[in-house]
Amino acid sequence: MIEARNLTKRYSGRTAVDSISFEVGKGEIVGFLGPNGAGKSTTLRMLTCFLSASEGTATVAGFDIYEDSLEVRRRVGYMPENVPLYPDMRVNEYLRFRARLKGLGHRESRFAVGEAMETCSLTGVEGKMIATLSKGYKQRVGLADALVNKPDLLILDEPTNGLDPNQIRQSRELIKTLGERHTILISTHILSEVEMTCGRVIIIDRGQIRASDSPQNLIRRLRKPGSVLLEMSGDAAAAKTGIEAIKGVTEVKLIEERGDWAVFSITTDPLFDVRDEVFELIQSRNWRIRELASRTASLEDAFVDILQQESPADVKVSNPLATVT
Amino acid sequence: MRAFYILLTKELRSFFLSPLAYVLVALFTFLNGWLFISMLKSMQMRVSTRSLVHNLFSSGWFWMGFFILFPLITMRLFAEERKMGTIEGLLTAPVRTAEVVLSKYCATMVVYLVIILPLFLFFPLFHLVTGEDAAFHSGAFWGSALGLFLVGLFNVAIGTLASSLTTNQLIAAMVTFVFVMLHYFLGFLQYFGMVPGSIWTEGITYFSTTEHMNSLTEGLIDSRPVVYYLSFSAVLLALTHHVLESRKWRV
Repeated sequence: MIEARNLTKRYSGRTAVDSISFEVGKGEIVGFLGPNGAGKSTTLRMLTCFLSASEGTATVAGFDIYEDSLEVRRRVGYMPENVPLYPDMRVNEYLRFRARLKGLGHRESRFAVGEAMETCSLTGVEGKMIATLSKGYKQRVGLADALVNKPDLLILDEPTNGLDPNQIRQSRELIKTLGERHTILISTHILSEVEMTCGRVIIIDRGQIRASDSPQNLIRRLRKPGSVLLEMSGDAAAAKTGIEAIKGVTEVKLIEERGDWAVFSITTDPLFDVRDEVFELIQSRNWRIRELASRTASLEDAFVDILQQESPADVKVSNPLATVT
Repeated sequence: MRAFYILLTKELRSFFLSPLAYVLVALFTFLNGWLFISMLKSMQMRVSTRSLVHNLFSSGWFWMGFFILFPLITMRLFAEERKMGTIEGLLTAPVRTAEVVLSKYCATMVVYLVIILPLFLFFPLFHLVTGEDAAFHSGAFWGSALGLFLVGLFNVAIGTLASSLTTNQLIAAMVTFVFVMLHYFLGFLQYFGMVPGSIWTEGITYFSTTEHMNSLTEGLIDSRPVVYYLSFSAVLLALTHHVLESRKWRV
C-alpha cells in the first residue's frame, strides 16, 4: 500500500527526515513511533502530499506522491495532528462538505456521512457547532472525516493525543475495528497504544528508522530482562535453589529479610513469565506467599532501549521521550 | 470544477453566516449613502458640468472606504486556514490548488459585489423618489459599474495574495491596506512636478485608478484599463497559487 524509498525532507539546513525507506502492506496496521520531533509528522505529510520530499519518493497504492498527487489523495484518509476543523460549521455540515470535496455525490455523501458518524459514535452531536465540541468529540469528527469516503489507506497523526484514558481505550477499539477494512498508519508517541493495536511498529528517531518489526519481536530483541518480585516465608535457601531451577530464570537474589519473610528479586529472560511456576513451587512446599509481582518487558522498554543503544554517542539521552532535535 | 463549486459554496456560506458580512454591508451602504447625499447637496449649491455619477466616483472620500474594505474581506482567506491548520485538510483532499485559490477569490468577489450593490441602487432610487432625471446617462452608470468591478478584481487579488503569505490576519490586512492605498495614490504622482505629456506621466496614467474611473464615469469604455486590471489580477492570483505550492518545492 505504501512504499517509501529514501524519503528525505530538509528544512533550511536541518534534516527532518533522513532517507527513510519502508513498506506498508495492504491490510496492515502499522504504528509509527518516535519521540517528539523525530520526523513522524513530516513523513506523514509527505505521504499525504502536503509536503514534497527533498529527495527520494514514495508510492501510495501504486501512485507516486509527487507525480500523481491527486490520485494519491483520493485514496488516503488523513487526520492531521491536533485535528484542525472549521469551528463555525456543524458536525454533519462539515462532514458533508468534506465528503463532497472528496468526490462523493450528493446522495452518496449523505449516506456516507451517516455511516461515518455511526462508526465514530457521533450521532448525538451531528447538529452541534464544532467550536462547542469537547476535545474527544473533535477527534472523532476528524476521524470520521478521514474515513468518510472509505479510503484504502488511513493515515492518522497522533489520533489519541489529548484524550482521557477512557477515550483512549475507545479510540483504540475503534482503530482495531477500522483495521478490518482499511490499511492504517498511525503515528504516536504513546507506546501502549501501538502495542495493543498495531501489527507492526516502525521506530523512528532523528529522521531515521531505528527498528521495524512486530511489537513482540521488538521486545524479544530487547536486552533488558524481565523481573519478578517475591515475598515469601519458609525455607529461604531451599526456595532460592528451587526457583533457580525454573526454566527462564537467570538469577535469583535475596534482597531483604523481614523476620520470617524473605524478599527475592527474580530475573528472567524477556517474554518469560515465571509467576505460575514460582507459585506452584511455594504451594507444593506449604510455604506462604505475601507478594508476587511481575515486571515483564513492555514495548516501552524496547523503545527506550532501542533509542539509547543506537543514538549517537555525542548526544546524551537521559530520557528519550523528551528529546527534541 | 466540481470541487470549485463546493468550495465556493462553503466560502460564501461561512462569510454570510458571520456577522462581519452584515456589518460591512450596513457600514458601506451608510457611508456611500451619506456621500451620495453630500454630492447632491453640493451640486445643488454649485453648478457642475459633470454628472452625479462622475462626481461621486471621482471623490477621494469614496475611495477611502475601499482602503479598509479590501483588507477586511480578504484577510481571512488563507491566513485563517493556515493559522487553524485547516489548510492541511484542505490541500490533502483531492482538490487542485488552482480550484482552492479561484473559489476563495470568486467568493470574495461575490461578497464585494454584494457590498457595493446598494450604491448602484441609489441612482434608480433617486430617480424614483424625486422624479428628476438623475443627471447621468446609462453609459456613465454601466461604465462606472464596470470600473468598480475591475477595481474589485484587482484589489481582491492583492488581498488574496497578502493573505496567502502569512498566518496572521492582521498582517495580511495591513499589507493589503498599504498596497491598495499605494496603488490608488500612484495615479496622483503625475501631478507632482511632472511634465505633462512626457512618457513618465503617460506611464503613471496607465496605473491610475482615478484616470480610469474618469473616463469610465463619462461612459467611455477604454480597453486599456480592462486589460490592465484583468492581467494584473491574473498575475496576482498566479503568484498566490505559487505561494501555496511553494511548500512542495524541491529545494
